[in-house]
Amino acid sequence: MPLLKVEDLKVYYPIRSGFFRTVKDYVRAVNGISFAIKEGETYGLVGESGCGKTTTGRTIIGLNKATSGHVYLQDGEQQVDLLNLKRSEFRKYRSDLQMIFQDPYSSLNPKKRVKDIILEPLRNFEHLTPNEEEERIVEALEKVGLGRDSMYKYPHQFSGGQRQRIGIARSLVISPRLIIADEPVSALDVSVQAQVLNFMKEIQKEFNLSYLFISHDLGIIRHMCDRIGIMYNGRLVEEGTTEDIFNNPQHLYTKRLLSAIPNIDPQKRLENKKFRDRIEEDFKKNFRTFFDENGRIYDLKPISETHSVAIP
Amino acid sequence: MLKYTIKRILAMIPQLFILSILVFLLTKAMPGDPLSQAFRANPNLDPAVLAELQEKAGFNDPWYVQYVNWIKGLLQGDLGISYIHKVEITKLLGDRFVNTIWLGLATLILTYLIAIPLGLIAGRYQNSWADKMIVGYNYVSYAVPLFVFALLMLFIFGFRLDLFPTSGSVNPQVEPGTWDYFLSRIHHLILPALTGALLSTVGTIQYLRNEIIDTKHKDFVKTARAKGTSEKNVYNRHILRNSLLPIAAFLGSDIVGILGGSIFIEQIFGYPGIGQLFITSISQRDYNVVIILVMLSGFLALLGTLLSDIILSIIDPRIRIEN
Amino acid sequence: MNSVDVNVQKSETEQNQAPTGIHVIWRELAKDKLALFSLILFIGVVLFIYIYSFLLDQSAVTTINLRNIFSPPNAENWLGTDYGGRDVFGQLVIGARNSLTIGIVITLVTSFIGITLGVIAGYFGGWVDYIIMRFIDFILVLPTTMLIIVFVSLVPRFNVVNFIFIMSLFYWTAIARLIRSKTLAERELDYVSASKTLGSPNWKIILFQVLPNLSSIIIVNMTLNLAGNIGIETGLSYLGFGLPESVPSLGTLISYSTNPDVMQNKWWVWLPAAILILVLMLCINFVGQALKRAADARQRLG
Ligand SMILES: Nc1ncnc2c1ncn2[C@@H]1O[C@H](COP(=O)(O)OP(=O)(O)O)[C@@H](O)[C@H]1O
Ligand SMILES: [Mg+2]
Repeated sequence: MPLLKVEDLKVYYPIRSGFFRTVKDYVRAVNGISFAIKEGETYGLVGESGCGKTTTGRTIIGLNKATSGHVYLQDGEQQVDLLNLKRSEFRKYRSDLQMIFQDPYSSLNPKKRVKDIILEPLRNFEHLTPNEEEERIVEALEKVGLGRDSMYKYPHQFSGGQRQRIGIARSLVISPRLIIADEPVSALDVSVQAQVLNFMKEIQKEFNLSYLFISHDLGIIRHMCDRIGIMYNGRLVEEGTTEDIFNNPQHLYTKRLLSAIPNIDPQKRLENKKFRDRIEEDFKKNFRTFFDENGRIYDLKPISETHSVAIP
Repeated sequence: MLKYTIKRILAMIPQLFILSILVFLLTKAMPGDPLSQAFRANPNLDPAVLAELQEKAGFNDPWYVQYVNWIKGLLQGDLGISYIHKVEITKLLGDRFVNTIWLGLATLILTYLIAIPLGLIAGRYQNSWADKMIVGYNYVSYAVPLFVFALLMLFIFGFRLDLFPTSGSVNPQVEPGTWDYFLSRIHHLILPALTGALLSTVGTIQYLRNEIIDTKHKDFVKTARAKGTSEKNVYNRHILRNSLLPIAAFLGSDIVGILGGSIFIEQIFGYPGIGQLFITSISQRDYNVVIILVMLSGFLALLGTLLSDIILSIIDPRIRIEN
Repeated sequence: MNSVDVNVQKSETEQNQAPTGIHVIWRELAKDKLALFSLILFIGVVLFIYIYSFLLDQSAVTTINLRNIFSPPNAENWLGTDYGGRDVFGQLVIGARNSLTIGIVITLVTSFIGITLGVIAGYFGGWVDYIIMRFIDFILVLPTTMLIIVFVSLVPRFNVVNFIFIMSLFYWTAIARLIRSKTLAERELDYVSASKTLGSPNWKIILFQVLPNLSSIIIVNMTLNLAGNIGIETGLSYLGFGLPESVPSLGTLISYSTNPDVMQNKWWVWLPAAILILVLMLCINFVGQALKRAADARQRLG
């Protein structure tokens, strides 16, 4: 049984206007996607900006309201639908899901000391004595490579990479099972990105975490993920193992994304450019074939045990 | 454009409606009705007559009946009568309303006559001593309460220096319609209008100053300069044209502000306008008049904001869409 | 932590953040000589007023002494006496104390209402926001001064509490709008989302996460509002629709000037009160504007 199963999730943002703020139309940010994440696995969600990745992540964790669909979380032998829980029932699963945010500058409250930042979840979920609290904070900080003296500092006294780790420390104190990482390194200096990614891999092993890893950067996705879903216009157009996607891409959109990865080898640059142009041309020509007669992107169809594609 | 204006006017109706109910109920809740007030002044009247008068005036009907009758009258242009002055309110209002409008207009004109040059100078010669003086004046005029300032102006220019009359709207001895009459009116108008104007320049000065400082660094101004346009022409042709128009949008809020201040100005300068009438009416519990005056002010304020919004929507069409 | 990381930390902290908090604002204030002078003067005047009025024999100030009517300033009565032979200086101190106290209370009450509604509207958005905003729009176009006067004259047993209540009814809207717009911006920041995923209930997020970030705006606004509210109260008292007679205000003293003879010849009765109001207003505003500049600069930096 997978740890998390998303089924036909739809998230529509209403567009309101007029004096009575009536709903005129919808932005169909997420328009029926399904996927599953196994325990200890990293599932990557890729697509260009605006395709609905962030919305998907935020809806799973309960920050956005879903329009319809299910998000099943495995709880012992059963699966609970997080979207159909009462507030009080949802609290029980709150700490199972955590999030790493894109912007390390706005995700930590600038008015709080690191100590208070890490205390927030602890206070919400556990009742500890001041001494125990301090112990837990130091422990969490050490896990992410920060010293005891960081406790009384404010976020602005740290670098972006350090802040991102403080954010992770804050999530870890309540032992989550799944972490949703929405572009966790895209706001960081390139020199620090690898550090944070490797650190994420380390704690994944240590705590048996699962990741929903959201990114527009295929290089990072390839480095991090076991399985990948390619998202386009609020739908998945292809899904498979990292192997499947990178060595045997089927959907034209996937091919286009892959062709856009910059090649470091200067000798192949020209060749690459030609290839990219060909794909681009193909993409434009065959663009219409992505959609069925109702203008909807096709449902995913399996072409192997692990690999499925949205083609007619 | 027309559609937007009509929409905005329609949106005013519920506001006026709620205001009218609110004010009507408030004045009804005031202790003592104006008839018994007038009655007390004239003890010879028979209490039975008073009761009959009260019945006839509808004071014994339920409030909503009274309200509906009142609104019906309003819509037909019948504002009711003042029980204290024993005249129709339309008559009572007439002159005073005109006086207030004149005062308001004079204040508005003086405001712009002061604010526009000061704003332009402050913006053009940013950080010069003139700019610093103007910014200082802005801080002070923002801070000073209108009634204290008005009293000081009256004390200094009216009483001590004896340059201006200390009350009234015109010298009662001059013949209406003559040149002297006109001059006397102006003479009575200057001090209160100047007082109001000196304190209502803040918004316009600040806006103009910021706008000009911003515009100075915009590309089209730089291009004009690079083409060799003289500094004077850069200001006259390019910067002013872009900065002056939006000032019109302050008109509405300026009108609202000046109306609000008119109670103090008219009371202090003994100027017979609707602000002064309001204070006397409320002291005499002449609530038919009070209610009309509150409604009138509310209406004018709404009109002012409407005006601002419409001007803004002409200048910046995005606002129309947003609404 | 390796050396590369240390370098990154240095450059990033330098370009991204200024230290937060009240002490930065203090530092800015100290740089502004006029504001600093205003602050010191204001504190001095306020201390004097409260201490002096505490030591003052109030009944001596308020007893009528017909043999000493309208006497000009002299050694005994520093600012002379009024039409009842009462000491003007004593009345000035008591009036100033009352006006200050009422101004402070009104500022606290309106800020409380305004912050509460503003933060609720901004944080929750949707129809809650819509209703609160339409309500504010309505109040904003009301002829406020007139309505307050109507209210004041219809309350049967009029007292200070009533007056504060009536004033507060109308003057919470500006701060509510300000706080709402700031909260709207604040709630989009990830730290609010983070708090939600970390299990904090909305009320805790509003109180302990969002509000601390609005603190400098709130302080600036309350300072400027204090000046405004004192101005409005004294103005209404001047017209006779402010504080009840038992609680004289600075406006009450100034209202003696309605009599042209007092205005013209007995200036010592009303002029000191007018000047004191002026001084208090200017001091508070200069401090407030300096705070505002400091808070803005901080926002631009961080
Ligand atoms: N709060 C919102 N209200 C309306 N539309 C939104 C909102 N948030 C996102 N959208 C729209 O939904 C779509 C998906 O956005 P998002 O999930 O942020 O995409 P991604 O993370 O893949 O860049 C975009 O078209 C975006 O404009
Ligand atoms: Mg995103």
